[in-house]
Amino acid sequence: MALFGEAGLFLFAVIMAAVLLFAMVFFIIMFSDLELDYVNPIDLCSKLNQFVVPEMAAHAFLAILFLFSGSWIAFILNAPLVAYHVNKFINQKHVYDATEIFRTLPGHKRECFVKLAFYLLSFFYYLYRMILGLLNDS
Amino acid sequence: MSAPLPPYGAPQHPTQPFSPSSPMRPPAQPPLHPQLQFANANANPALGRPGMPPPGAPMAFPRPPIPGQPAPAINQPPPGFPTQPGQPLARPPMAPSPVGIQPPRPPLPGPGPAAGAGTQPPMSPVSPVSPVSTQPPAQFQQPPQPQQQQHQPKRRMYPGEAATAYAQSASGPLPPPPGQEAFNPQQPGMAPVMQAPPAYQQFSNGPLPPSFHQQPGPAPGGAPPSYQNPLPHQQQAQGQGLPPQDAKYPNVPSAYASQTSLASVNDVAGQVANLSLGGVAAQVPTVSVFGASPYVQELEGAAGLPWIAAGSSASTTPTSHPHPSYKTCTLEAAPASQAILNKSKLPFALVVTPYRVPAEGEPPVPIINPEQIVRCRRCRTYINPWVQFVEQGTRWRCNLCYLTNEVPSFFDWDSETRTSRNRLDRPELTHSCVEFVAPQEYMVRPPQPCVFVFVIDVSFAAVASGMVATAARTILDSLDGMPNEDNRTKVAIVTVDSALHFYNLNSALSDPQMLVVGDLDDPFIPQPEDLLVNLSESRTQIEALLSRMGDMFRNTQQSQSALGGAVQVVFKMLQPIGGKIVVLQSSLPSVGPGALKAREDPKLLGTPKEVTLLNPASMFYKQIAVDCSRAQVSVDVWLFGSGYNDVATLSGLAKHTGGSTYYYPGFSATRPDDAIKFATEFSHFLTKPLGLEAVLRVRASRGIKMTSFHGNFFLRSTDLLALPNVNPDACYVIEMEIEETLQSGVACFQTAVLHTSSNGERRIRVVTLALPVTNQLGDLFAAADVKAVTTVLAKKAVERSLDYKLEDARDALVNKCADIFSAFKAQSGGGGASAGQLLIPSNLKLLPLLTLATLKNIAFRPGPQIPSDLRSSALALMYHYPLEMVIATLHPRLYALHVLPPQAGLPGSDGLLVLPPMMNLGSDRLERHGVYLLDNGREIFLYVSKLADPQLIQALFGVQGYDAVATGKSALPALQNDYSIRVQAIIGKIRQTRLTMFTTYPHFYVVKEDADPALRMLFMSHLIEDRIDSVWSYSQFLGHLREIVAK
Repeated sequence: MALFGEAGLFLFAVIMAAVLLFAMVFFIIMFSDLELDYVNPIDLCSKLNQFVVPEMAAHAFLAILFLFSGSWIAFILNAPLVAYHVNKFINQKHVYDATEIFRTLPGHKRECFVKLAFYLLSFFYYLYRMILGLLNDS
Repeated sequence: MSAPLPPYGAPQHPTQPFSPSSPMRPPAQPPLHPQLQFANANANPALGRPGMPPPGAPMAFPRPPIPGQPAPAINQPPPGFPTQPGQPLARPPMAPSPVGIQPPRPPLPGPGPAAGAGTQPPMSPVSPVSPVSTQPPAQFQQPPQPQQQQHQPKRRMYPGEAATAYAQSASGPLPPPPGQEAFNPQQPGMAPVMQAPPAYQQFSNGPLPPSFHQQPGPAPGGAPPSYQNPLPHQQQAQGQGLPPQDAKYPNVPSAYASQTSLASVNDVAGQVANLSLGGVAAQVPTVSVFGASPYVQELEGAAGLPWIAAGSSASTTPTSHPHPSYKTCTLEAAPASQAILNKSKLPFALVVTPYRVPAEGEPPVPIINPEQIVRCRRCRTYINPWVQFVEQGTRWRCNLCYLTNEVPSFFDWDSETRTSRNRLDRPELTHSCVEFVAPQEYMVRPPQPCVFVFVIDVSFAAVASGMVATAARTILDSLDGMPNEDNRTKVAIVTVDSALHFYNLNSALSDPQMLVVGDLDDPFIPQPEDLLVNLSESRTQIEALLSRMGDMFRNTQQSQSALGGAVQVVFKMLQPIGGKIVVLQSSLPSVGPGALKAREDPKLLGTPKEVTLLNPASMFYKQIAVDCSRAQVSVDVWLFGSGYNDVATLSGLAKHTGGSTYYYPGFSATRPDDAIKFATEFSHFLTKPLGLEAVLRVRASRGIKMTSFHGNFFLRSTDLLALPNVNPDACYVIEMEIEETLQSGVACFQTAVLHTSSNGERRIRVVTLALPVTNQLGDLFAAADVKAVTTVLAKKAVERSLDYKLEDARDALVNKCADIFSAFKAQSGGGGASAGQLLIPSNLKLLPLLTLATLKNIAFRPGPQIPSDLRSSALALMYHYPLEMVIATLHPRLYALHVLPPQAGLPGSDGLLVLPPMMNLGSDRLERHGVYLLDNGREIFLYVSKLADPQLIQALFGVQGYDAVATGKSALPALQNDYSIRVQAIIGKIRQTRLTMFTTYPHFYVVKEDADPALRMLFMSHLIEDRIDSVWSYSQFLGHLREIVAK
């Protein structure tokens, strides 16, 4: 990213990672609410489904940004998740289905935790790269 | 306890815990029952010991069995007792279990003795069982008794617990330890009995140290260790020296140990020893499934008696157990821990049909309208026969969460007549299946009226097949029978082709008006009122419309159908009130929202890709079903296919809204059989009882968790099923697991269906099931109910076929069956003589046959011949069917008509028609001159062999000789000869049962040995012990299982 330099790119990445992190926390909280019967599965699904595609898109956008800016390591780190998302999207498995939600809940939660961990790690990685970039710039 | 005379309030004297109620008894009654006096007399001496359970209390309830077999030792806190300091209630696991697991067989022994106790001389060792069982609740009304009974049964069941309760009442709330100590003083006296505790401990604490097996009694050599309460039947089988009654009450002694006179102690010790003989498992004969053809008659047998004697419940009445058709568990004894359940490989699930119609000769569900519905304050469990009364009956302990709750005063005191009542007469304490009339608190809005909206396809295909005319005629004829007790029922009719037609049925109009909505992109309700009208008020208009409907569309050329739009609009119409949408559809929805494509592809059938055809093509109908479910709208789908109907997609409407799917392939009203079948089923459907805006909640004893649910409903929370409508056909399967080891001896499961009955009353149907808890693997096997296991596995297989593929589901079925055999083999030591055989407890011996039957059922059978519509409807039905229907469908019943036993076809001694004995389903069983009747739940086949006796043919068909018999879908002529009348009676009985059980009116086919090969093949495909296509024959299947198990 010649435009902003490496520091700018990773600053943006850090922010995105933080947003995605929050999205995952939100998902997990909603799932726990469902388990505790604070929310009805229909409401839960209609609420979460609004965020599924934006989350995937944001992540894919980030990965593409890395690709075009030549941050290969960052891109390779993100590629598997992008592939996973694309696959889910193509098979129409990305939508939460209110009729199946209780049956699939453990899977969903696990997925969210894994993604949460991934975003957290990448958050620190981006932060590190950002600092590195700032040091290089200066 | 606001009543002036608190019936169970502060006990005057610790020794007379129950005396408070006595004052309330009508003076006419003898002031004190001898028993009671006796009890008190006895009690007093004991009183001196502080903190002791008032000895009088136990004595007060001498029941015959007890004195007879006072088992000593048990009351002393056996090892298990102290180990549970955390449990305030100190329920010694051992004590309850032994009691709980009373041998069921000799029916109702429990209640009897208890009931009898009141009237019989207290202490005399009465031969308990037989007299008792016949002495019903009537006895409970006797004055002295109520007091006893409330506590009694309990005590018996949870001796330790009861003891603590008393200890507490005497010296304030005590943590278990003090209570324990209180017992000790008595112990010395019990010395002889001391062997008993280990037995119980064993039960409660899992694997015993070997020494425990060496009890005085003859220990079964190789028998797997198990708990001491032998099952009744087993015991009989063994024919031990014990009088059967004793056997039944093995635990009783324990309960009374501390209080019993020592005289009987020795007897008891002997008994206990005997009891410890073999566990249940040891007594259920292990059989090899090889070598003999399966004994299919067992499929028809009535369910065995429950493992836990009804006498252990609060009221000790036999009705403390629900009829197994309402609720049954795959395991008749609950596993104590998940580990043992996993080891057994058996499924642990409830099969619930809460709203079923009582069968012929069964008593109806009691409907009660109490001043207040008594529930546990913590877990909201409804009071039921399995709670315990503690603290002199002033409180009851919830049998699910073990919290103690106040007993309301109206249980014992009728404030209107100012007389006392016997709480044990209350139906909620005597019946495990009751229906409460719910007060205002249970309503979020005024109870919904019954609402029926008929969405009728009037495209060319529908009109041509005669469906429209038949349906209209049937609705017209059923108007009187539809639920409309309070004249609130509402009806609307919508017809659909490429446009939507609504009808203004305002009662002021002379003629119904048709309103057409052609805009399918954004369908709307043409006018806000008068489309959905009151059935009673607009009866004339409705009748006018229905009687004309058959002709109205006679000349239609429309071949398209806009079902999706119609359902959307009708949903909008019903959203504020909820109700039932009845969709009658002949053609594939092809325009507007929810249009579907004819996607049937014969090339995919029989391949792994077939599953795509069995899954919905679009999410549209599922989505709308979810919306409907939320608005309390249920959808029932009736499909009449001349071509492809996409049952897979359209049945989604019913699946998530608590509805049903009915499928009539190739329907044509010109064939009287088709028309009669549809009209009978539809009419039954419209007139059967209906519960509206229902929710079903499942609760279970602490430690048990529901993991998944199967059936037609929408799961709204982890344990709450939303059922916009509940109907008698609906069956739900609830799978469970053990989250934490079960400490108590009895596990209870309660399902409550809150619904609005068709008379506008809010009702709660509560079904409570109690099971003993075991931690012996052998017992789990012995406790498995093969029919329930098969039903649960079949329903899970349906889910699996849709999630993965049919082949996976089939493999899973076979593997499950093999796993169970392997697990049993591992449990019983394996190896040795059993190496080459397949051994299984006799209660599971039909498992291989039923597994094979499931594989060969049309829902799962491999092969490219089954159209996806047929397969989808079979899967949908399998998922929805109640247990009896699943078994009937999986394993058809074959009867030989040419050798009818003398009673068959005539009413038996109980007034019910006697059916001939079931035959094994193998073609080698068919005799060359035979005439057979085969009933697979949905169809009835009459198979006539070529060499059949001409006289018999004459009697049955009224024609001369075999050649004159017509083959195919038909009916038997009603002839006036004994033989024909009996056969007709059998067919009539089958049809009647199916209709009430699952709204199915079976087709009747005559199959001749040498005519119509397709039909003959259809008949032969039901002979599941033969090899069919690529699926094993029964003996091959056993061989296959043996191979897997041997690995």
